[in-house]
Amino acid sequence: MMKYTLFVGCNIPARIQQYELAARSVVDKLGIKLVENQEFKCCGYPMQTSDNKTFLLMAARNLALAEKEGLDMMVLCKCCFGSLKKAAHQIQQDPELQEEINRFLAEEGLKYSGATEIKHFLSILYHDVGISVIKEKISTPFTELNIATHYGCHALRPSDVTQFDDPVQPSIFDDLVKVTGAKSVDWALQLECCGAPLMGVNDTLSMDLAEKKLVDCSRAGADYVCVGCPYCQMQFDRVQNMMVSERELTDEIPSIVYPQLLGLAMGIPEQSLGLGMNMLDITTLESFIKMETEIDSE
Amino acid sequence: MYYKFMVYMALSVFAVGLIYTVFNWFRFSIGINVKDVSPWGRITAAVRGISSLFNKEKLSILGRVFVQDILLQKHIKKQDKLRWIMHMLIFSAFMFLLIFHALDKIIVTPLHDRFYLMMNPWLIIAGLIVLAGLSISLYRRYILKVPRLKTSGMDLYTIIILVIIILSGLFMEITKLSSYEYYQKIWWVHISVCLFGLAYLPFSKMFHMITTPLSLLCNAVMDENSDPANIATRQVMELDACTHCNTCNQHCSVAVAYDNLGNDNILPAERMSFLKEYVANKKISAKKLRSIQQGIYLCTNCDRCTVVCPAGINLRELWFSAREELIQRKQPVDLMMTPFSYFRGLNHQRIDKEKYDLPLENVLNVLTADCDLSAKTLDAPIVLNQEANEFRQAMGISERTDTFSYCFSCENCSTVCPVVINYADPQQSLDLLPHQIIRSVALGLKDLATGSKMLWNCLTCYQCQEHCPQGVKVTDIFNKLKTVSIEDHK
Repeated sequence: MMKYTLFVGCNIPARIQQYELAARSVVDKLGIKLVENQEFKCCGYPMQTSDNKTFLLMAARNLALAEKEGLDMMVLCKCCFGSLKKAAHQIQQDPELQEEINRFLAEEGLKYSGATEIKHFLSILYHDVGISVIKEKISTPFTELNIATHYGCHALRPSDVTQFDDPVQPSIFDDLVKVTGAKSVDWALQLECCGAPLMGVNDTLSMDLAEKKLVDCSRAGADYVCVGCPYCQMQFDRVQNMMVSERELTDEIPSIVYPQLLGLAMGIPEQSLGLGMNMLDITTLESFIKMETEIDSE
Repeated sequence: MYYKFMVYMALSVFAVGLIYTVFNWFRFSIGINVKDVSPWGRITAAVRGISSLFNKEKLSILGRVFVQDILLQKHIKKQDKLRWIMHMLIFSAFMFLLIFHALDKIIVTPLHDRFYLMMNPWLIIAGLIVLAGLSISLYRRYILKVPRLKTSGMDLYTIIILVIIILSGLFMEITKLSSYEYYQKIWWVHISVCLFGLAYLPFSKMFHMITTPLSLLCNAVMDENSDPANIATRQVMELDACTHCNTCNQHCSVAVAYDNLGNDNILPAERMSFLKEYVANKKISAKKLRSIQQGIYLCTNCDRCTVVCPAGINLRELWFSAREELIQRKQPVDLMMTPFSYFRGLNHQRIDKEKYDLPLENVLNVLTADCDLSAKTLDAPIVLNQEANEFRQAMGISERTDTFSYCFSCENCSTVCPVVINYADPQQSLDLLPHQIIRSVALGLKDLATGSKMLWNCLTCYQCQEHCPQGVKVTDIFNKLKTVSIEDHK
């Protein structure tokens, strides 16, 4: 049985609980066991541009905790994922730094050696579980549903550090969407940033970037954007909702976190996926399933 | 006679203190969104709020909170069993002593005039139970050394005064049977300390006997749509409801930053101590302001403190109010240019636009002040001096930030940058383009390298770094430049 320690970070429990809820429901159905660790704290991501040392300590402490449990990490947030990967990479390149970090961690009886693998939720589904196993669990596939996959910067790049997928032509997320019966549309700005890192710093720029992406995927014929990161989800859900009033955005296109999409196709009930917790309405997604069952019964 | 005088003195100090403290709840406020409502307006708002509670739904909520959170303290039990046992021992036995001993003339004697005779052994047992609770508290603070459990003067005062009250009380009960002379002496000690404790109660941590239940009840029936005047009052009251129990410190997501940086104000419970003083006197030194600004901004808004607070304090909203007020000060907050601003951005509709933009403009102006492009003309030669050399070397080799020297100015980084693409005239809007920043580093031009708007508007999306044919770690270099600049502006 596959077993991981779940790293949810700061944003998900506070603002995107549906991501964790849906991920747990899906993972449970796939027979993966998740271990809780209440001791995990911030991954260090927001500290990266102001204080490298503190950033590394924040990340390393989490990695050391997972190491103590002897488990690999399942990370839901792509910024947490990127930040933990980055810190591990930097520490492993520099033995002196590692020693310094370990002196700090020793005060809590922790040690970082790099034994824990940091894995994003989507990577686990794709590589550890496998598309064929997921396919067997699909009971209510979608039809005629067009999805725009948004990969998320901090998982994809820098690719030599994150090793998530091909940074120029990634495919794992598209394959994961296709297995649900949905179509993954081609869109030009797929690999661009959602704008979230500048939210609060330069809101206009942050929203400009989100708006461009939304317009682009809407033109490509997508019914929904699909993401695997709380920051991207917030940008396309809560911030898009703000944009509707602030920018008179007309091409509204709701966003869904991947486990919600997969969960529906697996026949998991709506409440266990938190569909109602999104700001923009995504409950219409179920109509794409109904059509299928209607076709079956005819 | 003398005794009576002391009792009335203590009671009147207590009453005046109580009125003063409670009036302060209506007089002070934190945050920029509080409209200027007079204390009287706030009091009438509170009365209106309370009178709206008399319906079945609200009363059943209050009843549930009273039993579960105030009497049984389930909140604390969930967090830490040992602490719950400690608090229940002190709470239950102290309440017992208060009712059956301190107030015996009022409560016990009317029941039966000889009742107090059989009380003696029970009083001793109750005293011993309080002492056991206090021992656990000392054990936690000084032997177990619970992480980030800080002991302030107020915590120590509370423990000491309780120890003296109980010990003198125990000796009193024991000497009662042996020596009348000693008994009388100890009686005076016991009474004096008890009365002192009573008089000082509204100003001490012990006041949480009143404020913590009040906070739990308020937060159970209030939300963000409640009357802003009442929210303002509640937030000041919540400062008195904090018992400095440190639950939030232990759960704080950025506690590791405190461990490394040592700024007390990063920890929520310590911020509460600061705010308690600040709300009454808003004049603070530049140094203190810097420390609290960093402390309160270094927060991921993960809500954990709010979820775990045994006093039910809505810390999330309290930070929101306090943060807005503190960053409006002239002193710029460097951390505003980092993802710590995310939560503020998400909530920008809750803040007046002018007040929202002002602190951001302030900090950007300071960080970009040195970037003077007009001084760099073709006639002005670039000076490659020691300073430039030092800057280049300070870029270091960590994360290969020394790769700037590989750049041959192909401008790929600037071509793929989504920020550059977003502007019609990027040079005008951003001062420099990414490749120009890299060239500035190579030339040792620190003022340009760390001061362009481009740098502070970098998304860290890593497109530039991914697409560099020379393997220049562009984004990592940018991150490093930001940390250098923020360090310089400290």
